[in-house]
Parts: sequence; C-alpha cells; structure tokens
Amino acid sequence: MGYHNGMTAPSRVSTQPSSFEVRILRQDAPATAPRWERHRITYEPNLNVISVLQKIATLATTSEGKSTTPVAWDCNCLEEVCGACTMLINGRTRQACSALVDKLLQEDPDGLELRPMSKFPVLRDLVVDRSRMFRALERVRAWIPVDGYGDRGPGPHESQESQQVRYPLSECMTCGCCVEACPQFAKVELRQRSDETDEQFAARKNREYDNSFVGAAAISQAMLFNDHPTGHMNAGERLEALMGPGGIQICGNAQNCVSVCPKEIPLTTSIARAGRQTTVHMLRQFFDR
Amino acid sequence: MDSSPQSFLARHDFLIRRLHSLSGLVPVGAYMVVHLVVNASVLESPAAFQKNVYSIHSLGSLLPLVEWAFIFLPLLFHAIIGVVIVGGGMPNSNQYRYGPNYRYTLQRATGMIAFLFIVIHVFHMHGWLHADFWLEKVARPLGGAKFAPYNAASTAGAALQTTVLVVLYLVGMLSCVYHLANGLWTMGITWGVWTSPAAQARASVVCTVFGILLGVVSLGALFGMRAVGQGESLQEAIQIEDRLYHHKVESGELEPNEHKRAAPVHETEGEMAQSQPSESINSQ
Ligand code: HEM
Ligand code: SF4
Ligand code: SF4
Ligand code: FES
Repeated sequence: MGYHNGMTAPSRVSTQPSSFEVRILRQDAPATAPRWERHRITYEPNLNVISVLQKIATLATTSEGKSTTPVAWDCNCLEEVCGACTMLINGRTRQACSALVDKLLQEDPDGLELRPMSKFPVLRDLVVDRSRMFRALERVRAWIPVDGYGDRGPGPHESQESQQVRYPLSECMTCGCCVEACPQFAKVELRQRSDETDEQFAARKNREYDNSFVGAAAISQAMLFNDHPTGHMNAGERLEALMGPGGIQICGNAQNCVSVCPKEIPLTTSIARAGRQTTVHMLRQFFDR
Repeated sequence: MDSSPQSFLARHDFLIRRLHSLSGLVPVGAYMVVHLVVNASVLESPAAFQKNVYSIHSLGSLLPLVEWAFIFLPLLFHAIIGVVIVGGGMPNSNQYRYGPNYRYTLQRATGMIAFLFIVIHVFHMHGWLHADFWLEKVARPLGGAKFAPYNAASTAGAALQTTVLVVLYLVGMLSCVYHLANGLWTMGITWGVWTSPAAQARASVVCTVFGILLGVVSLGALFGMRAVGQGESLQEAIQIEDRLYHHKVESGELEPNEHKRAAPVHETEGEMAQSQPSESINSQ
C-alpha cells in the first residue's frame, strides 16, 4: 500500500468473500412447521442459485457442521422457460436458475436467503404445489377447441399486428411469480381428510381453487386466446369465467404482477383489456337478453 | 359443476365490485367534488357560501330524501363493501416496493381514514340525528352539531378553530382527495378505459393533476372557513348571514326556522329572538 491511511486501498479489484452463507427455510412435509437451516458455501464466480443448491446437496452439512438431508427443489429447463424453479430469493419471487449469485451478493453481501413461494402449498423444502396455476388455465379455457378430425380447411389469417400483441403473452411459463407478489391473491391450502378418497380430495381442492382469485397469468392467457382468430369464437365463455367468483374483480390494481413477471408480459394491459371486454360483455348481456 | 350453494355475495361478486367502483365516482366522488367546491366558495365571501347553502336548502323537505338517496346510501354501500375489500387484501408494499403497490396500500389506508373521518365530520357538523333531544343532550355536549345552515360560514368556521380539529380535517380531507384521484385511475383500468402502459401513464398524469387541484380546493375550503370563524371576520360573517336571513324571511322567500340558525354563537340575539318575533329585530 502506497498510503498509510488506507483510503486508496484497491476496492475495485473486488474483495469477493471466500465464502458466503445461504439461509434456507426447510419443511419436511406439507403443513408441518418450517425451520431455518444455514449453509456455508465456498465462493466461485458465476454461480447461480441452482448450482448453489447442488453444492449444498453435495455437502449435506450445515454451517454448524451438522449432517443434514439434501434440500429439495424443482427444476427442468435451467434457462428460465419452464418456471419450475421459482422460489423466494432474498424475499423476491424469481427463478433460481437465472438468479446469479454475484449479483445477489452485490445487492446483499449478507448472503442468500431461500424460501419456498408463500402462496402455494409447500410439498417439501423449496418445492411447492402450483397446480392452482394450471387449474386457473382450465378455468378460463386457455386453449383453442378443435373438435373432430375432419379437414376444415385453412384457419383464419393472423395479422402481423395481432401476432405482435399475442407473442409476448404466449411466453408465459405459468411460473406463478405474478400471483406470488399479488396482494389480492391469498394462499389456498387444504388437507386431505381421513374419510376422503384421493378423487374426492382433488375435487374439493379444485372447487376451492375455482372460487379463489384466478390470478394475473390466467387473465392474460384468456386475452391471448380471445385474441386468436379461432379462439375468439369462445371469447364469451372465457369472459364468463373471468366474471365468476374469484374472477378479475378481485384484482386491486397493485400492478406487482407486471413488475415481477420474469417474461415481462404486459399483464396490467391484459387485465385492463379483460376489464374492457367484461364491461362490454356485461352490458351486452344486460341489454341483449 | 359445483353443487354446493355459493353465497349470494360470491355469485354476484363481479357486479357488486363494479357497482362499488361506480359508486366511488358517481354519486360519491361527484358529490365530494361539489361539496368541496361549494365550501371553498367561502374564499369569495361568507355571503357567497351562504347563498350556495340556501340554494341547496331550497330543496326543502326533499333535501333529506336527496341526501339519503344520493349521498348516504351510496356512501354506506361503497364504504361497507370497501371495508370487506380491505379485509380480503394482504398489502405487501414493504416487500414489493413499487410505486403502484404503494398506491394500492394507500388506497386502502385512505379509504379507512375516509370512513372514520366522514363519521366524525358528520357528527361534528351535523350531529348525526336531528331530533331535538339528541342534539341538546348528546350531540352538542359532545362537541357535535356545530353547523347551522342559515349561519353557514360563521358556524363552520367557528367550529374549526382548534389545532386538533384542523389536523383531523387536513388528514381526513386529503385522504379523501387522494382516494378519489387514485380511485379514478384504478377505475379506468377496472372498466378498461386505459389499457396500454402509455395510456395508463397519461391517465396517471391527468389523475394526479386532478388530485392536486382538488387538494388545493379542499385546503381553500378548510382554511377559508377557519379564517371566517375568528375575530372580526366572525362578527362580520354573522351580521351578513343574519341580514341575508332576515331579508329572505321578510321577502317571504324563506320560512323562519330557528333550528337552522346559530344558537350558541350569538346567545344574546337568540334570547331576543325568543322574546320578540325575529323580523322585528331587523326593523329596529
Ligand atoms: C368511506 C370509506 C371508504 C372506503 C372504506 C373505501 C374503500 C375503497 C376501496 C378498498 C377501494 C378499492 C377498490 C378496488 O380497487 O378494488 C376503493 C375504490 C374507490 N373508492 Fe373508495 N372508499 C371509501 C370512501 C370513498 C369516498 C369518500 C370516495 C369518493 C371520494 C371513494 C371513491 C373511490 C373510487 C373512485 C374508487 C375506485 C374504484 C375502482 O378501482 O374501480 N371512496 N374504495
Ligand atoms: S405471467 Fe409472468 S409471472 Fe405470471 S406465470 Fe406467466 S411468466 Fe410467470
Ligand atoms: S394488478 Fe391485480 S393481479 Fe396484478 S398484482 Fe395487482 S392486484 Fe394482483
Ligand atoms: S429451471 Fe426452468 S425456469 Fe428455472
């Protein structure tokens, strides 16, 4: 060091830690009490949260030196297109595979904090049951019905303009970030009763889901398929679903969904458009009946 | 399909929420704008405000009906459903610190403040009920029912002299203004008027300007009223109001009604008024 006061000590050349701490909220089974577990990981450049979890699985030892079971988590694509690895990283809902440790440590040098998503039932550790997301897609009929096998000729043309509106909406991976951050989306977690068969339990769960807030992703998907030239023919059914219990009316315009969506889907535009379509649908029903 | 009967509220949730949204604008929001603008007319003169009050009271026996149909019932509906909505939300603006999310939380907080404020305000100025017994034995001893429509500016102004009340009115009125301005913006999304991010940003500018203007009007009303309620201006206002009253009574435009006049502020005149017909005070 050239100067004794230390003021010019090279800070740019980065004082990367030799190791960092990872705090994980673990849970053994559905509806059991969660507990925090700490792990110390040797620093390497270019880690992401999935590789951190892999290191933790290999170590299988907490930072107190106790041996522990591997932390359970989900992943598939490892490139932010499947949504399976979604969790709360430093309190923010996002995908573990695209969460870079260098950036996270810059934001918060204290280390990482991993929690399962808070709006879905926890299955184990960081794995949650996101079936409510998929049920919501069923609710709003987020598909194009094609009946029969006969050749019905070419479908309607899709304009360049509508293609440009629809493409971003089609990128949704049903990850659930939007509903995780939504202040109007309440968690629904049911437990199977001892006198209930699996089918009965599934039916009860679906009923409960169907009366709870459908969420931004499904609202946006309803718009995607209402915009489709063929899908448009069933627009009324999708709007009816959006106007049912737990429909679009639950949205309180906090707009967190659009802020956290990793695919930057214009969710609040979809919500406003669904608002407009349901307004028109409501008036039409009232005056055309 | 679901065989279990859904509650009436769940089945009609969409319609109820749309009516809630609508009621926030008309009649409740529209009424609030008129109310604040009329009150701010005190800045022009106590007489101007008094004339506005007279034109409202020219509805006579229809006034309570109009008040209930277009103000109290819609407001109660909006407020009660509003409290239910607040109960169903889980504000998380500490965790997700985005502008619109703060506005979401504020919309709920200001709604609750508006609820409390309006209840207190209606007691403070009008005493809730007009029954004589209630007014004399309960409302007035508790500091309520201060407003007398035929001494409008002087009684309202005199009622706004303590710091506590001014702070209460400031918080309450500005909460209502924010709630309406931001509510207007969310309403445009709810009904699908502004859909694209650019349109929502433009609408946000318009709603902000509207909110600031209405905020200025409400400050004008509050401090204008307060200024009339002290010292010389108070005596002047009372004289003007009394002159207007007697003039109207004399010309047969107004039924004499001591209930709508200020009793406590001009005690001595009140006593005289009891011993002599009020018209004769004026002619002396
Ligand atoms: C008195 C107690 C009140 C409560 C508890 C209350 C509550 C609420 C709540 C929770 C919302 C949000 C609805 C949503 O976004 O889904 C709301 C919206 C609104 N409120 Fe109020 N409010 C009250 C009074 C008022 C008053 C006095 C006004 C008018 C000045 C008003 C005007 C509005 C408007 C215009 C909306 C927008 C509706 C929409 O987003 O579609 N509210 N209110
Ligand atoms: S809309 Fe965005 S945040 Fe929501 S599920 Fe789809 S990709 Fe995830
Ligand atoms: S805009 Fe609606 S759906 Fe999106 S986060 Fe806010 S309340 Fe939830
Ligand atoms: S593993 Fe598919 S999004 Fe992360």
